[in-house]
Amino acid sequence: MVRIKSRHLLCEINVTDRNCLLLLDDRAVLAAVKDTVLRMHGDYGAAPLCFLCVFLVKYLNAHTGIVFLRFPKNCYKLLWSALPFITSIESRGHKISCFFNCLHVGGTIRTCQKFLIRYNTQQLHRMLPKCKNEEEKQEIRQAILNCSLLRGKKEAFEEASESEEDEEE
Amino acid sequence: MKMSASKVKMREKKMRDQPVSVQYSSQNEAGGSNENGGETRSTGGGPSTNRPKRSHHQPGWVRGHQKDGGDYSKEMPKYITAGGFARARAAEVKAMLKAVTKRPASCHVFETLPKHMRRRAMSHNTKRLPRRLRLMAMKLREKSLQGGSKKKKEQTRSKSRKARRRHGNLLLEFNRRQRKNIWLETHIWHAKRFHMVKKWGYCLGDRPTYKCYRPCYRAMSSHCLLQDLSYYCCIELQGEEDRLLTGLSQLTSKEAGPTFAAALCLSGRRQGSVVVYRAGQYPSQPLGPVTFLWRPRTQGSTHRQLWIWAHPTLKQDLLAELRSVCDCSEAVVPVVVPEPSPAEVTPTVDSEPKPKTTPGAKRKRSSKDQSGPPAKKILGDGTRSPTTPVTWKSSSSTTVINDLTMEIIRYRLIGPQSHTVITEAFEAATSCDEMNKSQPSSLWWPEHCKDENKMHLHQQQADVFHLLKGIFSTAELPPGTILGLTVDDPRLTLPTKKVKALPCVKQAQEVDEEKRRELVLSGVSEHCCQSFLWDRSVRDNVIDNKISEQELNRMRSEVLVPGSRLPVPPQGRVPVLLVHQPGKQVGHEMSSWGAGWDLLLPKGWGMAFWVPLVYRGVRIGGLNMSLKHSQNKSAPHFPHDYPDCPAGVHFQEEQEAELLDKFKRRPPAKRTNYIKHGCLAPFCCPWQQLAEEWEHITREGGEEREGAGRSRTTTEADTVMEGEVATPRQDVTMTMAQRFTVLRNRKSLRLLSGWCKPTTSKGQRACRLRPPPPSLDLSAVKSFLTSHRMTLVWVRLSLLSGGKPELHGIVCVPTSEDLKQLKAPGAVGPQEPPHKDHFKSRIKRKKSSKKAAAPSLPSDKTVEKETELSSASDPNIPITSSSPLDLVLGLWPDPLPSVASHCSRLTLGWVTQGDFSLSAGCGEALGFVSVPGLLNTLQNQPMEHRGTVLLRNPTSLQYRFAKINIEV
Repeated sequence: MVRIKSRHLLCEINVTDRNCLLLLDDRAVLAAVKDTVLRMHGDYGAAPLCFLCVFLVKYLNAHTGIVFLRFPKNCYKLLWSALPFITSIESRGHKISCFFNCLHVGGTIRTCQKFLIRYNTQQLHRMLPKCKNEEEKQEIRQAILNCSLLRGKKEAFEEASESEEDEEE
Repeated sequence: MKMSASKVKMREKKMRDQPVSVQYSSQNEAGGSNENGGETRSTGGGPSTNRPKRSHHQPGWVRGHQKDGGDYSKEMPKYITAGGFARARAAEVKAMLKAVTKRPASCHVFETLPKHMRRRAMSHNTKRLPRRLRLMAMKLREKSLQGGSKKKKEQTRSKSRKARRRHGNLLLEFNRRQRKNIWLETHIWHAKRFHMVKKWGYCLGDRPTYKCYRPCYRAMSSHCLLQDLSYYCCIELQGEEDRLLTGLSQLTSKEAGPTFAAALCLSGRRQGSVVVYRAGQYPSQPLGPVTFLWRPRTQGSTHRQLWIWAHPTLKQDLLAELRSVCDCSEAVVPVVVPEPSPAEVTPTVDSEPKPKTTPGAKRKRSSKDQSGPPAKKILGDGTRSPTTPVTWKSSSSTTVINDLTMEIIRYRLIGPQSHTVITEAFEAATSCDEMNKSQPSSLWWPEHCKDENKMHLHQQQADVFHLLKGIFSTAELPPGTILGLTVDDPRLTLPTKKVKALPCVKQAQEVDEEKRRELVLSGVSEHCCQSFLWDRSVRDNVIDNKISEQELNRMRSEVLVPGSRLPVPPQGRVPVLLVHQPGKQVGHEMSSWGAGWDLLLPKGWGMAFWVPLVYRGVRIGGLNMSLKHSQNKSAPHFPHDYPDCPAGVHFQEEQEAELLDKFKRRPPAKRTNYIKHGCLAPFCCPWQQLAEEWEHITREGGEEREGAGRSRTTTEADTVMEGEVATPRQDVTMTMAQRFTVLRNRKSLRLLSGWCKPTTSKGQRACRLRPPPPSLDLSAVKSFLTSHRMTLVWVRLSLLSGGKPELHGIVCVPTSEDLKQLKAPGAVGPQEPPHKDHFKSRIKRKKSSKKAAAPSLPSDKTVEKETELSSASDPNIPITSSSPLDLVLGLWPDPLPSVASHCSRLTLGWVTQGDFSLSAGCGEALGFVSVPGLLNTLQNQPMEHRGTVLLRNPTSLQYRFAKINIEV
């Protein structure tokens, strides 16, 4: 099918104060990205962002600071190059100092989602041995168990995710 | 952005599994949005394992900043724990997993399959799907079946296809379907091959579904084209010759050509054609053209029989008119016995039997079939109620009027080889075996064989029929010749394969040269025109004893040598009538193009004759082709070219509605703006207005000229003028109310034609043998005009250069500059300056004002303002205080301004049919022009350019030169 191709960037927003993370809001992120792009690349860079249907924040999790950004495919490198220059996000009257960490670039949201699943489970697994007390360990173990919807399905999907080609950074 | 409800639903379904952004947008939402946030503010406990309820009122794709930001800091947790961190991650993973594993649920399961794995008919047979999707597909299918469609389906198709197609059931279904519109006998044949239209109470084939415009033309001009014209209505008149003639003479006028009483026609040797008027109303109130046949005289009897063939649209009017002129007021209600006898007259029936509900509705076939079993095939008219009278008799004389609609089948063969087709397809009836002759028979033919006289007549008719083989072209015969004949059942000689009937040269030489010449010169002798088709008893006998197709096939299978000819069964003889149709009779070129034969048959035998004809390689044409036929023949076509007849008026209204509907179906931006093209009436020609305006113009012009003439004063001229001027002045009051008429007076037409200088279609002058017409001087024109003030004349226009005229093209008067331009080689013609559309702004303004004042009632103020504004901006536009509502962009609103002087050139008339003529090789149009306007134009034109006019299509600004031909 004919469609507008785009790139989805899976970014992690790293903040100094974790509480500020909860203040995040998709509009704020959008505005911050726009500002930075305008600053870094001028009007030339900002022009593609004007197509709002292409440039979007598809998903934002204020708890984990994960954000899906959608960019037009033809100029995503240009926009991507501006992301490291974001130092703060203005949201609800607060200035949250932060930086973006791009974890994955995918052609579809699906690949981003798949990556995110792998990434998160990996993180949890990594956390498990570092736990300080038994209580925490139990909680994390519980969380890991919660990660799967249906155990059987999960394996099948993970195989599939490997076979599907996507652009990984 | 607004989405339709179903679209929203679809989208909701699709997005159901997609993760929602987790953010604290507002206080209320915060609690609900914990699904993949994992952290519940209030409890801080473990994430809910069961699926939390969804907050559908704020789905994830609705974004927006809620105003009441709230004080977040209070709500925020003060510290971070590993547990919370882990929970948040876990919840997110879970949400993502859900999104990834579930395919976006569109309504079709197979859309989840990659394209190369999709298979045809997956939706029907779930087994074609891979197993993992089967279950879901089954569910979906069940669901869709449960929906309302199922019940409906069950209602409509209760029976299986096989059951429905069973002969009896099929017949019932067919009978049900022809209750509203009459089917011709060839309906099924046509319906398989033609675009059918419902017209005039019939189902008729309009044009074939395959491409055959040119092949059909070629067939008409070199071989043969076949049409089923059974929808034409036949009205039978019986009675004393002089009584009939006196009655009929009121309907016609000698001025318009030969009438019912023309000697050749009256003898029964020729078919005649007349234009019928309301009784004694000539030249106003015409009804339409009819053709008629007289039955040849039988010795010593003045009782005559006459068939009048009329178009279904004019039948009702004609019937009423005939009843009144013939005094046939007593309706005979048909009873079970088909032959109406005077004893069965029921006085209770109104003297004026109610016309049927539908104007073209026909009557039912003879009552015998009605009383039969219900599943009997309908022959003839299925829409008429059995009690509708079909016969009217006079109380004072023996005159009887019979409505024979659908009783007689009429096939038309057009083309020079149509006689070849006929002679090849039919064989004159063979006489009966000797042994059969002795015993009495219920069949008509064996009885006839016993009569020496009748056999002798049959022999003569068969001889003439054989002579036809030797004729080179159908056009050689005298126009309108009639030949009665009895033929064998043509199904017996049906070739196994379709063959093209070709004239046989050898046979032609065999034929007696002398006899052939006589046939060509004088036609068929009178007694040979007699046919038993005129006899109702014979007709009924033939219809009742027709061998069924099934029986025939059984006989075929029993023949000793398969494929050999069948012996003719005693009931296999059919009386037919062959009527020659004249071709092009006017003009100098392509003379008698499109001549042919009409074949009249008793009803019920339609398909038996149709298929054998088709097997002789003829082309079949529909309504469309008959229009083209008359166009190429340059004959007016009913009802298109009879704007003064009620049927013509009705047709025009229908056509206008149809065209307007078509126009309105386009998006407004893609419509032609006819106002800008200076086209006042693209869909319907206001003939009445045109005639009135030209009448007005000539009157004014005449008065001016008269003044000029006075000063010159030659005494004789003065006296002449005074006499002439006096008459039109008297007319003035009369003409205002008078309706326009179409000029059909032969003498006047001939005079006009002479003034127009008839030319060939290419514009060359024909060598004229006739004496030169009276010169076109003032007095001649004046005297002509006095009698034809409000008349239109039917003209043929042939374009001098390129261009294809279209329907409702405008015929204009060229200016003298235009005529100068004509001399230059390669002159195309002048251009009309584009007009300005004053209504456009008005429509726009109305729209905006409507929008503004939409909820409130449309105030008088806006209307007032509009009229004020428009009157201020352009005084030319008639202020239509009425109906700003029916303003359509690109069309003039109803009270049209002056039609004659709307464009830069004066309008003379309009085109009613226009096309590229394949016979002339240039664009040809048929239309009407106003007589006063035409004379005015001719007078002002120099001799060498006389009869040149301009033609412009409604969708173009380009004028093209055309030559006017009036051919008599």
